[in-house]
Amino acid sequence: MSNNTTKLPDGVADSIKIEVAARKKESRQLLLISIISVAIFLFLWEFAVRIGWIDSKHLSAPTTIVETFIMKLSDPNPEGGVLGTHIATSLGLVLVGYGAAVVIGVPLGLLMGYYHTFDKLVSPIFEIVRPIPPIAWIPLSIIWLGIGTTAKAFIIFLAAFVPCVINSYTGVKLTPAVYLNVAKTSGASTWEMFWTVSKNYAMPLVFTGVQVALGNAWSTLVAAEMLAAIAGLGYMIQQGRLLARPDIIIVGMLTIGVIGAILTFLLSKLENHIVKWRSRS
Amino acid sequence: MDEQRVVQVHLENISKSFVSRKTIFEAVNHVTIDVYKNEFLVLLGPGQCGKTVLLNMVSGLETPTDGKVEFLNSDSTDVGFVFQKTAVFPWKTVMENVELPLELKGVPKEERRKRAQYLIELVGLKGFENALPKQLSGGMKQRVGIARAYCNNPQVLLMDEPFGALDAQTRYQMEEEILRIWEQEKRTVIFVTNNIEEAVYLADRIIVLSKCPATVKEVYDISLPRPRDYVDPEFLRIREAIEANTDLAL
Amino acid sequence: MKKNRSQARDIMLSVISILLLVAVWFLVSGSRPDFFPTPMATVERFIRLIEKPIMGVSVFGHVLASLRRVMLALIASIILGIGIGLVMGWNKKVRAAINPILMALRPIPPIAWIPLIILMFGVDEFPKVLLVFIGSFFPIVMNTMSGVALVDDMYLKVGKIYKAKTWQMLRHVVFPAAMPTILAGIKIAISSGWMVVVAAEMLSSRSGLGFLINRGRDSYDVALIMVAMILIGVVGALLSAVFTLIERKMCGWMSKE
Repeated sequence: MSNNTTKLPDGVADSIKIEVAARKKESRQLLLISIISVAIFLFLWEFAVRIGWIDSKHLSAPTTIVETFIMKLSDPNPEGGVLGTHIATSLGLVLVGYGAAVVIGVPLGLLMGYYHTFDKLVSPIFEIVRPIPPIAWIPLSIIWLGIGTTAKAFIIFLAAFVPCVINSYTGVKLTPAVYLNVAKTSGASTWEMFWTVSKNYAMPLVFTGVQVALGNAWSTLVAAEMLAAIAGLGYMIQQGRLLARPDIIIVGMLTIGVIGAILTFLLSKLENHIVKWRSRS
Repeated sequence: MDEQRVVQVHLENISKSFVSRKTIFEAVNHVTIDVYKNEFLVLLGPGQCGKTVLLNMVSGLETPTDGKVEFLNSDSTDVGFVFQKTAVFPWKTVMENVELPLELKGVPKEERRKRAQYLIELVGLKGFENALPKQLSGGMKQRVGIARAYCNNPQVLLMDEPFGALDAQTRYQMEEEILRIWEQEKRTVIFVTNNIEEAVYLADRIIVLSKCPATVKEVYDISLPRPRDYVDPEFLRIREAIEANTDLAL
Repeated sequence: MKKNRSQARDIMLSVISILLLVAVWFLVSGSRPDFFPTPMATVERFIRLIEKPIMGVSVFGHVLASLRRVMLALIASIILGIGIGLVMGWNKKVRAAINPILMALRPIPPIAWIPLIILMFGVDEFPKVLLVFIGSFFPIVMNTMSGVALVDDMYLKVGKIYKAKTWQMLRHVVFPAAMPTILAGIKIAISSGWMVVVAAEMLSSRSGLGFLINRGRDSYDVALIMVAMILIGVVGALLSAVFTLIERKMCGWMSKE
């Protein structure tokens, strides 16, 4: 606590000190609860595996997982790639499929929201394709495009494309008429109105869509790699299963989780940077 | 003002500060107020200051950093509260909203329905018992809020800028209504506003609070007969006197 | 009058759009029917599927098998998700205890659980239901928690003023106020659960729509794949339509803004 500029009466100053102390105590207490809870969780897990309540062929102990993680940093055995290779393969795939989805999906959604005729022409097709989960496309894509990178990038593209389009579309649709009228009365052309008003108004929702798309892309990637791949994180956990190595699976799962979280975090940083006008609630 | 003044709520040297991470915000500073039984007391003060905080302390929602709130001559500390925005629950019907305070007390359904029905009629919402708030106008929602505040039969009613969000016309109408209801069901009212005209129209007594931290600046007894007239010369004189004496930079 | 005409125009456009899709489908599939069956062949395959069961289960049986797994998992995740989410949103200490573990598990896509769950529990019914549960539990628990934590302070004040006990507060104030957010979570959970069940069935199953896709791939029966995909889409859309109706019924009090 810094010194106060105004002089507080004694009674008030004392109560404030008590309140501040209580609050500090509470946040310390909560942190302690978190730490203890995680520690108990990990301990029980370790204990259950060590003592044999859980078969170590089914689930590895936390310590084993840490060892495997360290080993996988440099050792390509048993499934044929070090962790870095798997990560690079997966990231490359996602960047291609997801990047294409954003670059095509966002403008398409914006235009669909803005131009009525275009909307009515494209929406029905979209509504038909939309409810099919991207994973269900995997066999068909493999038959059409083979088991190479193209098929997987295509599936990831599908997974990310839908939310990009829908959110951009909704964002434009929700532009308040007032803003458009202001632009209209000051003589903006249809295109200018779209570019200066609707596009900007839609941005926060566009970003929500782009975030959702990232989650979809990342989880679809895992599915695609599980079904057909020779490297990548999805391949790693699938091999872990075939080799009955739960430690490999869990290292793979945790890596998938951590990288997914990092990507999401980076994207939200980017959003804050681009959509500055939105007030934080 | 002819009846003898019995103190109902006593605020003794109240101060309230809020502590956030790095700063201390003083909202109320050494306020002592006696609130008399069945009076219509208006706390008048500028913008975002300690008025609401004072009400919260009377209601028990917040505790003073220093000083104390006492309820005298009554064994109940129950209060009714009418909120700034309509704090009517949108998921409950008018009836369910009004009877809520009694339902929470565990009063049997038949009894609380009877009481709520009386209050719904008192505030002029007969026929809307089963309506949802989304079907009501802003003024009607605030009527629900008033009926709910009366429901558990509190001796003290706290009103926190209840008409602040209404349009001018509805506001005038509601000011008339609240007086009509209060004449019929007399209670001690502490009414917070930043609108001088509203204060003069409603109050038996106005306490003007200063800017942050809030302190008692001036007290006015308003003895104009009711119903009052906004353009009555005496009304305007009082209004201007208060205006000249306060800096209600709103 | 003008409105009627523009409506007619919109319908025309929609019809044109769907016709266009079918036309393109015909055109593309004409050259390699084994590679990309025509719309007719797909319809025929569907009819044949109704007449001739696969693995002794009719096509509706496969739909029901998938639905059953999703429903069982949803019931579990709704009960546990709302329960745990309520307590976590309400009580800081419980949240502090559970949140770190949930936060660590949440970024792992449900599909990534498939290998571990199969390794641990085999390929029976239970692991599939468990996988769908994993996919649907997180959106419900997260939405319930944030719905509860974000209840308008004013509503809570009303409860406090009238001295509501904790359970009364939850029943009258917190739970209904958080309801729209909770239902939104369930909606996400349904579509996520539907996706996971398809994935789980594709990796190991002898019934369900995901299995049909897989069967189509293994026997190079592209028409079967397409029939299964369309069924997955239709049932998924129906599920979400039914839930939207329920949602409207339960949150009829919400005003349209």
